[in-house]
Amino acid sequence: MGHGHHIEVKQEQFVFSPKAKRFSMILMVLGLIFAGLGIANLGGHEETHTAKTEVAAHEGAQHGEGHAVAAHEEHGNVETEAFGPRMEFHPLDKPANTRIWANLMIAGYFFLMISLVALMWYAIQYIANAGWSVGIKRIPEAIMTFIPVPFVVLIVALLMGKNDIYHWAHYEHLGLKPGDAGYDAILAGKSGFLNSTMLFVFPSVLVVIWYLLMRKLRSLSAAEDNATRGDVSFFRTSVKFSAAFAVIFGFTISVIAWLLIMSVDAHWYSTIFGFYNFVTHWVTMITIMAFFVAFIKKEGYLGFVTNEHMHDLGKFMFAFTVFWAYLWLSQYLLIWYAQIPEEMAYYQIRFENYKFNFLLNFAMCFCIPFLGLLMRSAKRNRYVLGIIGSIMILGHYHDVWLMVFPGVFGSGMQFGFLELGNFLLFAGVFTYWVFTALTKRGLVAVNHPYLDESAHHDVGV
Amino acid sequence: MGILDKKLSLRDRKKMLVGVWEDEDQLMAGAGELAHAGIHIHDVYTPYPVHGLDRIIGARRSKLARIAFFCAVTGLTLVTTMIWYMSVHDWPMNIGNKPVRFTPSWAPVMFEGTVLCTAFGMSFFFFWRNRLVHGIKNELLDIRQTDDRMVLTIETTDGMDEKAVLDMMKNHGAVELRAFHNGVQTVL
Repeated sequence: MGHGHHIEVKQEQFVFSPKAKRFSMILMVLGLIFAGLGIANLGGHEETHTAKTEVAAHEGAQHGEGHAVAAHEEHGNVETEAFGPRMEFHPLDKPANTRIWANLMIAGYFFLMISLVALMWYAIQYIANAGWSVGIKRIPEAIMTFIPVPFVVLIVALLMGKNDIYHWAHYEHLGLKPGDAGYDAILAGKSGFLNSTMLFVFPSVLVVIWYLLMRKLRSLSAAEDNATRGDVSFFRTSVKFSAAFAVIFGFTISVIAWLLIMSVDAHWYSTIFGFYNFVTHWVTMITIMAFFVAFIKKEGYLGFVTNEHMHDLGKFMFAFTVFWAYLWLSQYLLIWYAQIPEEMAYYQIRFENYKFNFLLNFAMCFCIPFLGLLMRSAKRNRYVLGIIGSIMILGHYHDVWLMVFPGVFGSGMQFGFLELGNFLLFAGVFTYWVFTALTKRGLVAVNHPYLDESAHHDVGV
Repeated sequence: MGILDKKLSLRDRKKMLVGVWEDEDQLMAGAGELAHAGIHIHDVYTPYPVHGLDRIIGARRSKLARIAFFCAVTGLTLVTTMIWYMSVHDWPMNIGNKPVRFTPSWAPVMFEGTVLCTAFGMSFFFFWRNRLVHGIKNELLDIRQTDDRMVLTIETTDGMDEKAVLDMMKNHGAVELRAFHNGVQTVL
């Protein structure tokens, strides 16, 4: 076995300590307080009111009645004013609680993707025959059980706020025929994909498939724990199911991102969008995983998981930070090079009216993590990882917020108390759920064929 | 070969004690005891990476990362200057009425140039440092150190108890003991 020194790895049972409980409770309480503050502010209508007038002025100055542009289009006059956004916002029609539904939708989507990406990470470890990660494989295994919770939240948010969040849903409601005033050829053309049935049925079917594959992989892992040592049949079956999941997930995740998030700006599209969404959540999930590993180790578990494993997680965080920036820029540059002004609509509103958030997003998701995690010593330091990782998690949540809010509300919104509180509340529930899931089975995959490799993992001096 | 030979060749060193192992576990134990006894291990040549050995023999961290950083900064500067000179200063072209000074559109080339310089720079430095440059004669202490044997070398110092060191190696399963001096190996 190995390299001169034998490392004894025994089964450990995780106990949901009072400290961990307190931590998730604090997150939830803080979340409730902030969200409460945010909701109290909603009642005042001041913020929303300002938003409305601003957008109305903006829209009026630019091209008068929003539908006029679409009408132009219909009559074959494709000459578009430079940078004239063809998407129309209807902030005037939005009730104040749209902001609540949009927030729930973002949180649901974000945490659904985090759980799914954890499952994807787990699957990739099997497909790639990865040895180093076996010691921490129970953590993604716990995160991926969270799939149903955010999905339910997402569905509730969509049921309540669909018509106000998606202007295609609002448009669908109008039931316009060609030739009618306000008929929108683009939305009509996309209605085969962007319709209310699709919005609920498609994600539901996929979530059921993903959920079943998750249960299967988890049960294989549990069966392996109770089997005899040296039985690799569970490992082999897991590889097969992981491969199946990876193929399904790889194709469907983009579609989910288009359907749920990209359709907020229904006139606009970007082919890289799904992948960009995947990477945003992927890098966040790895950060969250690193946090859980650090916390669990601090509680005295997983003695054989060392700084070497943390270093590799840090490398993952760093590497995918760069990859995120690559996609972030690529999505824009493709549109910029292609010389199609109406494709700029997505960026125009974000850069004109949300300049601070737009640049903050880039700073939190790229500049700070890139410089902060560049050095080897930073990746091996729990405190540096903690600070940079917190910025990253919040930054990527803010990234999703920036994908949705300008499209839903037009200008004048800000990442306020409600958004922060909503995120913290969900983070608390998520933490609580994952810790509970960790107690359900032993913390070490004792019969995994690569456990010893993981215990001896060493990245060198 | 100038600097290359003086710094890195085994030839110009004092007398070296050489131990040859067939088993990595025994090698690790032996190296551990030698290090524990305060004997500086010059280097260990193994056909494959032996995890944990670098810590035992007190190997310092590779400086390759610093070279990578230096090459990256050089590449970035070089490529940025190149783009600026070509498309802003010397011959600005109107392509689709796009501004020539739009830096985000430079980013892909800047990135690629940085990566290119870093990759080439690191490769060259790595090969140079490991004496894998064409024209340098290899100094294999044992022809099988690239196959299935592990060779540990210790540079003798004044007052070193060579007998004790050799005994330590033998006790930990060294299958051959040799001395290397002025380019000549003698089996002990």
